[in-house]
Amino acid sequence: MRALIAKRLLILIPMLLAVSLMVSLLMSLAPGDPVTQLEMMPDVDEAYLQELREDFGLDKPWYVQYVRWLSQVVPFSYDAEADGILARIDFKPNFGFSYHYRTEVWDLIVQRLPATVLLSITSLLFAWLIAIPLGVLAAIYKDSIFDRISQLLAYAALSIPEFFLALLALVFAANTGWFPIGGFTSAEYDFLSTPAKILDIAHHLLLPTIVLGIGGIASIMRIMRANFLDNIRAEYVITARAKGVPEGRIMFHHVFRNAVNPLITAAGFAFSSILSGALLVEIVMNYPGIGQLVYEALLQQDAFVVQAAVLMSVIMLMIGNLLADIVLALNDPRIRYD
Amino acid sequence: MFERMSVRSQSGITLVALLALFALLSGCGEPVDATRPPPGPLPEDVDVAEIAPGRQGGVFFGTLAGMPRTLNPLQSSEDAPSATAVSRLLLGLTRFDPTREEVLPALAERWEIGEDEKTFTFHLRRGVRWSDGRPFTADDVLFTFEAIYDERYPNRRKSELSVDGQPFDVEKIDDHTVRFRTAGIYAPFLLYIGIPIMPRHKLYDAYADGSLMRAWSVRDAQVAPESIVGTGPLVLERFRPAERIVYRANPHYYRVDPEGTRLPYIDRLIERIVQSQQATTLAFAHGQSDYEGIEVRNVNWVKRNAPRYDYSVYDRGPSQATGFIWFNQNTGSSPRGTPYVAPHKLEWFRDSRFRQAVSYGIDRQGIVEGVLLGRGQPLWGPISPVNRSWYNPDVQRYPYDPGRARELLREAGFTWDAAGRLHDRHGNRVAFTLATNEDNDIRQAVGLVFVDNMKQLGIDVRLQPLDFNTFVAKIMNSFDYEAGLLGLTGSWDPHGGWSVYHSSGRLHMWFPNQETPSTDWEARVDELMEAQLRTLDLEERRRYVFEMQEILAREVPMIYTVTVNSYEGLQNRWRNLDPPQMGSMVWNYDEIWADTLFLR
Repeated sequence: MRALIAKRLLILIPMLLAVSLMVSLLMSLAPGDPVTQLEMMPDVDEAYLQELREDFGLDKPWYVQYVRWLSQVVPFSYDAEADGILARIDFKPNFGFSYHYRTEVWDLIVQRLPATVLLSITSLLFAWLIAIPLGVLAAIYKDSIFDRISQLLAYAALSIPEFFLALLALVFAANTGWFPIGGFTSAEYDFLSTPAKILDIAHHLLLPTIVLGIGGIASIMRIMRANFLDNIRAEYVITARAKGVPEGRIMFHHVFRNAVNPLITAAGFAFSSILSGALLVEIVMNYPGIGQLVYEALLQQDAFVVQAAVLMSVIMLMIGNLLADIVLALNDPRIRYD
Repeated sequence: MFERMSVRSQSGITLVALLALFALLSGCGEPVDATRPPPGPLPEDVDVAEIAPGRQGGVFFGTLAGMPRTLNPLQSSEDAPSATAVSRLLLGLTRFDPTREEVLPALAERWEIGEDEKTFTFHLRRGVRWSDGRPFTADDVLFTFEAIYDERYPNRRKSELSVDGQPFDVEKIDDHTVRFRTAGIYAPFLLYIGIPIMPRHKLYDAYADGSLMRAWSVRDAQVAPESIVGTGPLVLERFRPAERIVYRANPHYYRVDPEGTRLPYIDRLIERIVQSQQATTLAFAHGQSDYEGIEVRNVNWVKRNAPRYDYSVYDRGPSQATGFIWFNQNTGSSPRGTPYVAPHKLEWFRDSRFRQAVSYGIDRQGIVEGVLLGRGQPLWGPISPVNRSWYNPDVQRYPYDPGRARELLREAGFTWDAAGRLHDRHGNRVAFTLATNEDNDIRQAVGLVFVDNMKQLGIDVRLQPLDFNTFVAKIMNSFDYEAGLLGLTGSWDPHGGWSVYHSSGRLHMWFPNQETPSTDWEARVDELMEAQLRTLDLEERRRYVFEMQEILAREVPMIYTVTVNSYEGLQNRWRNLDPPQMGSMVWNYDEIWADTLFLR
């Protein structure tokens, strides 16, 4: 197991280098640069645009910009005086500098991280806690009215685009007045006591959680049902029944543990979407998260913010897969990593 | 903490972790004290506002058009949200009153202009304090200008505060007197000198160690709002990125009302940062905010809720945003030697009769009715009619007249074939591509009407929507396009349009960066732009700018189309409003007061 973890973490290094190189190349292929927007303002002086481009290194080819960025973000540097490599010990991750906000990318990400992580976690919990029992029930009572209705609803949920659902949620909130119209906190948030603050955030989270979770419920439920059905027909179930094991124990002890494996892998992937999964909902519902930051950075060509977001997604994906593999091994004694 | 989450453990761990995250989010300090702090001592040179006395208290729930990129005054003028946020916090020596369209005293109580019209002596208001109680002096003014002219800190104000590339000479006479000398006469001096003055005692260290550019970033605003001190009516209290900014009244503000009540009247200004227009407009239309800029397509339904939530929607008339079509008149060639524009097309584009004919051929009223649903105005020149100080109403206009257009084309040697298609005198079919940016719905609709209008004249136009940056690259660098459709937002002072009007300018759309003007009329416009800059006499300046508008209307290098009206919604509880002709109707946050303290 330790070897697996070490190997996965080592693979991460070349992977991050390759991905960051790709992102740099792709960003450089897009027309224009972060100064283009300013260029169209009549009262901005030409000389200033030039100064700005030089200051940012935008007048250099993309690979020079990449190397410049890399030398900023790696935790060590070449020290000419000592003629050796100097390690920088810094507990703050360094993702470079944002052209748009003129501050460090990590600072921007930290500003948006809590809101996004919170929404992702609540929506994942919401989706999984509802979808798994529903999937199991649909499998056990296959072809019943319940199964058919849940199937119909699942297809309906899958076919409604997220942003549309988000718009509907806004209109619902506005017309009933039961929920705040988008956002993460109320205008008076800063004047509230701590318990009231928690309630306020919870109130704001409810609608985006449902919007984001509904699509998840449908797909997870379908996977769960299919796997459960596969296992119900397995020979060991017949054997167990023949031996007289109680039906509940067969279903929830044996079948469930076997059927849940693919979902553990799916959970690993879901983990990687914690930072980026809510993009559309964040934008429509005025929710101050990472998705919004990245979307704007793409429009503004704020390369290093985009870079940071992609790299964090890669890291999350790797960690998610690793965790899934570990849990898989714990759940299923047949799986070993030797 | 996150790792445990994904493992779908139904145990209490997740719950505990969630609560911890909540605590992390909300636990940033005690709740803010909602009471108003006692006012500081009145400055000796207090400014008594000439307004109807009001009542202190209340909160204005506003909206800010986007996320500010920084609160650093050196960079804040590059985008509207930052500039707006900084204007609440910091003041300049002078201020621009948008309603009266004139420059008034602010931190300077008065000033004298020397005989040579190049020396300006400012007498600073005595007793003014920064929001942290420290006195404001001439050293702050000197520091601000030192930072702006410093090589280490590129900023766009430097060029506005220079004449012929030479910075102003700034001299401290005493603690309350500062003298500026300009290298030449500089017309917009008093307007541009009103830049936000920065607190030396807060920013000098960052200035000295070279990190001034990064000071007062959005991160600083979030974690240490108290470090951002100012002289403006409001002080930063909380900054929640992409959510809202909370300001409270500055206890040291230098203005009082006629009864001696300290301004501003409002206790707080809470501005919601718009990320999605739908969400904020919806919130306004349900009585949850005081102010909202409303897009044309939303006006009808927002109006419906007005009686229920006690607000009004105001038609603020034409905006400053102009829309125009222009032809590429660049006579140059690409580095590979091919001309930017095919020579026969260049001949049409450089013929003013062709451009005038096209202008007569555009049904502007049709665009206003059909595309803007009546919520706009036809445009005839570069300066929008709302800019009362500079707009010249007596320029040549081109009302829709296909007959006149045909006459002009015939005069210029164009002919029509049997199918009604237009040909030039060499027999070339008249056809061109109109490039525009794809992210603007209204602009594209205008383009489609234009295509149809041109078809009436036998001209074949193909609309080419492009990604914004691709489009910009075409019109600014590679010049491989035939015609373009775009909009620019004008500034109040015509000098702000220098790069558009002057033939050496970057945004001289039809033929930018010319070394010497390629036509006589462009040479005349250059002369006028240079002349208007070299006089302090407003009437004389206006004459030059008026003539410039006449020339541009006659030669139509840019064929102006329409301007969209702007709409604003405001709760009816606000008093002492002073809406200007152009710009947002609420700008005097230090003077407004609410006759009912609470929303809803």
